[in-house]
Amino acid sequence: MKMVEAIVKPFKLDEIKDALTKVGIQGMTVGEVRGFGRQKGHTELYRGAEYSVDFLPKVKIQILVPDEKAAQVVEAIVQGARTGKIGDGKIFVAPVEEVIRIRTGERGADAI
Amino acid sequence: MKQEKLHCRLVSLVIGLGMALFATLCFAEEAPAPPAGSEPAKVEAPAPPAATPPAAATPEPKPDPGGIVTGDRSNVFNAAGDPFVISEPTDKSDPDYAKKRKEFEEFQAQAAKEPLTLRLADAVGRVRIATNFTWTLATGYLVLFMQAGFALLTCGLVRKKNAAHLMMLNFAAYVFAFLAYYVCGYAFQFGAVAVNAAPGNLGGTPTLNQFLLGSGGWGFLGGRGFFLSGPAYDVGSNALTLFEVVFMETAGYIIVGAICERITFWGFILCELFIGALVYPIFGCWVWGGGWLSQLGATMNFAHGYVDFAGSTVVHAVGGFTAMALAVILGPRIGKYGADGKPRPFPAHNIAFVVIGTFILLFGWMGFNPGSTLGSSDLRISVIAVNTNLAAVAASATAMIFWYFMFGKPDISMACNGMLAGLVAITAPCAFVSPNSAVIIGILAGIVVCLGVLFNERIIKVDDPCGAIAVHGYAGWLGAVSVGIFADGTFGAGWNGVGATTYLGKAGLGVTGLLYGDTSQFWMQLGGATLCAIYAFGFTYLVFSLVNVVRPLRVDKEVELEGLDIPEFGMLAYPEDALSGVPR
Repeated sequence: MKMVEAIVKPFKLDEIKDALTKVGIQGMTVGEVRGFGRQKGHTELYRGAEYSVDFLPKVKIQILVPDEKAAQVVEAIVQGARTGKIGDGKIFVAPVEEVIRIRTGERGADAI
Repeated sequence: MKQEKLHCRLVSLVIGLGMALFATLCFAEEAPAPPAGSEPAKVEAPAPPAATPPAAATPEPKPDPGGIVTGDRSNVFNAAGDPFVISEPTDKSDPDYAKKRKEFEEFQAQAAKEPLTLRLADAVGRVRIATNFTWTLATGYLVLFMQAGFALLTCGLVRKKNAAHLMMLNFAAYVFAFLAYYVCGYAFQFGAVAVNAAPGNLGGTPTLNQFLLGSGGWGFLGGRGFFLSGPAYDVGSNALTLFEVVFMETAGYIIVGAICERITFWGFILCELFIGALVYPIFGCWVWGGGWLSQLGATMNFAHGYVDFAGSTVVHAVGGFTAMALAVILGPRIGKYGADGKPRPFPAHNIAFVVIGTFILLFGWMGFNPGSTLGSSDLRISVIAVNTNLAAVAASATAMIFWYFMFGKPDISMACNGMLAGLVAITAPCAFVSPNSAVIIGILAGIVVCLGVLFNERIIKVDDPCGAIAVHGYAGWLGAVSVGIFADGTFGAGWNGVGATTYLGKAGLGVTGLLYGDTSQFWMQLGGATLCAIYAFGFTYLVFSLVNVVRPLRVDKEVELEGLDIPEFGMLAYPEDALSGVPR
């Protein structure tokens, strides 16, 4: 099993979700997060005084998938999230040791 | 713990003093007044017989708490303001004495022939007063609603961690300042209003007729109506009270915008008591209570005396400069200025609150300005309402465009500040100027507020989170001065007892500004508005510097950094459900 984690632009979430549904994923978890990458933040003015927005708003998506599906899911996220401009985000793929479905106690691939 | 005991003691001391005052003053005021209804309301024949003793022996007027005497034929006027009842001329040296005597005698003869007409006139006068009561009270309710606008505006402009603190300050401002105004504020401001500035539209409030300090044209402090009792327990006086107390409240919540995010709650209560009892009523007496500043026209021949129609200075500049003194004493919020001395912004946490609050204030201002006629029998109300709106939109447009050019983006909070500055600036001149002048005043106010905010923040470094000093102080000063520039003479003949028949050689000419030929009014306005600024700033600075020495008005550093909501009030405005620690 793999955990696919993607940090993306918030307004791309719908497109990503559609692309992922097409490849048949079972579920996902999303959260609003903030951070910066190579772009860093940017500056804004409030009542004439400058301030810098260091942490830009992003959405983090987490999807648990069987090993064989990971590449397909990554491709779907890239398709949905890409604008070609700076700040499109990143995807991380990591192995997962164990999964437990709380309601039934099922473990491993059955619990996905 | 020890500190907590100290504030408790301070607050209870103030309340205790209030109670002691109550015991002494309130009951002393309650002169044995027979209920007004116990005697026949009026005599049928209009004029006293010729043998009536001279005016010196006129009995003390009685209050009318039941509302069964106020409003009779003496309140009937035609459109030009000529009274229905022609009173007996007393001044024999008047060149027109013979003519007036004849008119009086003709009226007497006619009245004797047509008693039914007199009874009808009584009914008409009653209806006029009732209409004006309705207007004054209803517009007062609109002004009261401005409190909600202010709460939203100021809360939206601060950081999320202080949102509950802001709401509580706005709420407590209403409560405590109201009580102070009830105890002595109203009496100080209007206790002698009948001497020089009787509100004829509400029946004249004849019982409020004595200065505590000064007399005649040189009154400094009113002296009747403490605890709204005795002479103030009267329907006409209470209509005035309701309207005026919400005006005082406006000055009361102006200060919130400049001192928030760092003032202790007990310190804030003291500020509100000070505004409601002293700083506001004293200047209010000078200008609206028939006090010396308004009477300088009558006493010293300075134009119409100092003129402020609805309170650019009496309400707004007093609030704005009181706020400035407090903001100077408190100092800037932690982190407002970086190590390099450059200002750092704390952006508004809820701009929707800010915009809705501003619109509620605009709506409330439709009571603030037109209501200040104290009567809808004064048809100028429509012009006032239009002028008020015009200045508001002109100022807001100016602020938006100013910011657009200066900084590349129009700032929403400054667009709102701009609208409020326009409203503040048109408040004094709204009744005396034309719509075109209202637009110009609005544009000037828009520029003044933008420059004022930048000046406070960058040059004198007075931290004013919501822009209250620029909006209410600077634009308020501008408003009073613009009366002296733009007043066109179409309204206010006889204002402050000056020029009832002719002014500058013209019959019926009202308050007139520089552009229409009365330079003296301009100097009067400039001096009066500047005096207001110095008075409000100086008096407040003096009193609260002392208070601050006894006990600091500002919260501890840790409290300020954490946000005042939890340390001062024990709750957050926006608790996160899962993590608030409250059982679910």
